Amino acid sequence: MTTSGISRRGALRMFGIGALGVAGAGVLGACAPSGSPSNGGDPKSKNFDFTSWSLNEEAAKPSIEKIIAAWEKAEKSKIRAVSYPYNEYLSQLTLKLGGGETTGAVHLDIAWLAAMAQMGKLVDLGSVVGRGGYTDVALKSGTYDGKQYGLPWNTGSIGVIANSQLLEKAGIKKHPTTVEEFEAALGELKGLGGGVVPYAAATKVAQLKDIFPWMQTFGCKMLDGGKVTIGDDASVDAVTWYKKLHDEKLIAADVDRFDARALFGQGKAAFYDDAIIGKGVTSAQSKDKTLADSMQPMERPVLKAGDTPQALLWGGVIAIVNGKGQDAATEFALHTTTDQATTSEYFSARALPPSTTAGLAAPEVARDSFTTEWTQKITRTATGSPFWQFAQNAQIEEAVGKQVQAVLVGKSKPKDAMKQAGEEVAALIKR
Amino acid sequence: MTSTTSTPLPAVDRPQPSATRGERGARRRIRKDLLRSRIAAWSAVVVIGAFGLLPVYWLLVTALSTPESTFQFPPKLIPTDLTLSNFTALAENDQLIKYMINSLVVASITAVLSVVVATYMGYSFSKFRYRGRRSLMHLVLASQMFPQALLLVTLYTVFSSFGMLNTYSALVLSFTTFTMPLCVWMLKGIFDTIPDALLEAAAIDGASRWRTLHSIVAPLAAPGMIAAGLFAFVRGWNDFIFALTLADKEKQTLPPGLVSTYIGEFQTAWPQLMAASLVVSVPVIVAFMFLQRYLVGGMTAGSVKS
Repeated sequence: MTTSGISRRGALRMFGIGALGVAGAGVLGACAPSGSPSNGGDPKSKNFDFTSWSLNEEAAKPSIEKIIAAWEKAEKSKIRAVSYPYNEYLSQLTLKLGGGETTGAVHLDIAWLAAMAQMGKLVDLGSVVGRGGYTDVALKSGTYDGKQYGLPWNTGSIGVIANSQLLEKAGIKKHPTTVEEFEAALGELKGLGGGVVPYAAATKVAQLKDIFPWMQTFGCKMLDGGKVTIGDDASVDAVTWYKKLHDEKLIAADVDRFDARALFGQGKAAFYDDAIIGKGVTSAQSKDKTLADSMQPMERPVLKAGDTPQALLWGGVIAIVNGKGQDAATEFALHTTTDQATTSEYFSARALPPSTTAGLAAPEVARDSFTTEWTQKITRTATGSPFWQFAQNAQIEEAVGKQVQAVLVGKSKPKDAMKQAGEEVAALIKR
Repeated sequence: MTSTTSTPLPAVDRPQPSATRGERGARRRIRKDLLRSRIAAWSAVVVIGAFGLLPVYWLLVTALSTPESTFQFPPKLIPTDLTLSNFTALAENDQLIKYMINSLVVASITAVLSVVVATYMGYSFSKFRYRGRRSLMHLVLASQMFPQALLLVTLYTVFSSFGMLNTYSALVLSFTTFTMPLCVWMLKGIFDTIPDALLEAAAIDGASRWRTLHSIVAPLAAPGMIAAGLFAFVRGWNDFIFALTLADKEKQTLPPGLVSTYIGEFQTAWPQLMAASLVVSVPVIVAFMFLQRYLVGGMTAGSVKS
């Protein structure tokens, strides 16, 4: 029965017209293509895609476009440039690689390589990697499960940067090498007053993964033979020490990488953690045009003399997707990461260290003392995170970060927090 | 105490010649209380106003600042070195203009499609009684309750299967999936307020069902339809994740375009981003200025039945 004398058929027709335009989209999910190891297309095609977040970025775009244009001209091929913002890159790539839309060469942060390799769509580049002349540490950054899935493009690390001007002001003549010396230096720097934060260490959850190298410094392996060791005495000691720095105002509350750069850029922080590119980024946003000259890479202090300084490996690799244009894309990746003229020019534009021995020895790179010093002091002993192999890496970092923050704000004891963090991480990797 | 305003004072403020000392004291207390409550009210207005307007002010200041002064610490509330370079750079960026055109096209079509679809569906739900009507109504609403990520993956695979990725159609259809349910319910509420007697009178006068809907009901529901359209336009204009996932650089809209252009791996170009954000807010502000009278009426219509 209708309220206006219109039949049921008429009513349904009205509804039907309305629904027609959109209802289909929601119910056709079943038509989705199932995943396959290859993303389809002719592997011999000269044309392929190159996906990179850097293709969006003002600082990187012109140099990468130049590399692409030179390749297209030399090989008479066509490269389609694809890009997503860095913060969305992993999720977009996962969806599009799974959906078969991504082919060709793919620029990856080394932290994402394992997650991408597990999708089973990347080519094992073991047969071509020997032609590159890559350094050992660089090769490691492109390896997952014993296979070479990525050709290393730029290899660096996240380490500690010091401000030599402030150190001098505080009467610190050489970089501290042990945790004890470091703490004493921070005390001296605090004495400078004027709002100086001796060490602009990360204290916000988003960046508290920076605690990992300190945990390793104190002897925590984080993951040992598949067993999560966060919660052991070493991790508790590391967090107890971090809390002590916080309570003594040697590090500050609510600091992430952006805040740390801002503080350092204004001469208000003597040490902070950053990737090698931090020099360019931080000095560019500073009013002090001499700041770049005062920036020095520093080996992370060790617990006792003779220990290996800890640093997190950092960099980018180019991986190749099975399917359309994979052969040409492999040659392109090899050329981009190893051709000396190309890597030198790219270094001049972006100050990102090359990943080959010849690239590092090129005059443009060798002349840059910050880069060479960084490579020798920090990258030399840097290692990847044991959690990169898990797709839940971001949740793992967040879980640990939350517990560390709870300690810093006094809501939790280091022992309880690390035990809790260890349990949460164990649950996440079991999934 | 005298007043300089032309507004008549409340009775308590007028001098009372025959008042006793006690009465005068009481009046003073009342006046003090009134003054205190006025000060409290104005303070609240100022604080709330500052709370609401400070982000807008900061957006404007950052848009007019150089990158170095953006990171100045402590920040300056009144900046000294202002520049228009962020706006001129924006005007010279062809890609951003392309994103803006894409946004206008997609958000406008979404608004029109949502209103057209929702008009028929809302009318059907409001004026007809048939088996499954309630279930259908709740089904439409339930689609709003799915997490966006779930809808996104489904839509991505569907559009991919049909070769529709990187098209305006994909964006419009995906935006419509989340604008339509609210539009349908909004318009149903508005149609509910239109008396059935009017429809019956039209039928007696020989109007067909189509004529009744298009010539009688639709004009009466126009404010609500405009409000629904505005709502859909704004949702489409602001969407980030669907536009990023379903379209490539050629068809992408402003939100992913701005993020791609200004937010990088190592740094964010805050001054340029703020300048761009200011400029791209203009179409939405203009739309609200012209259509706001319909918006309030449209949103509240149907909330009270006559």
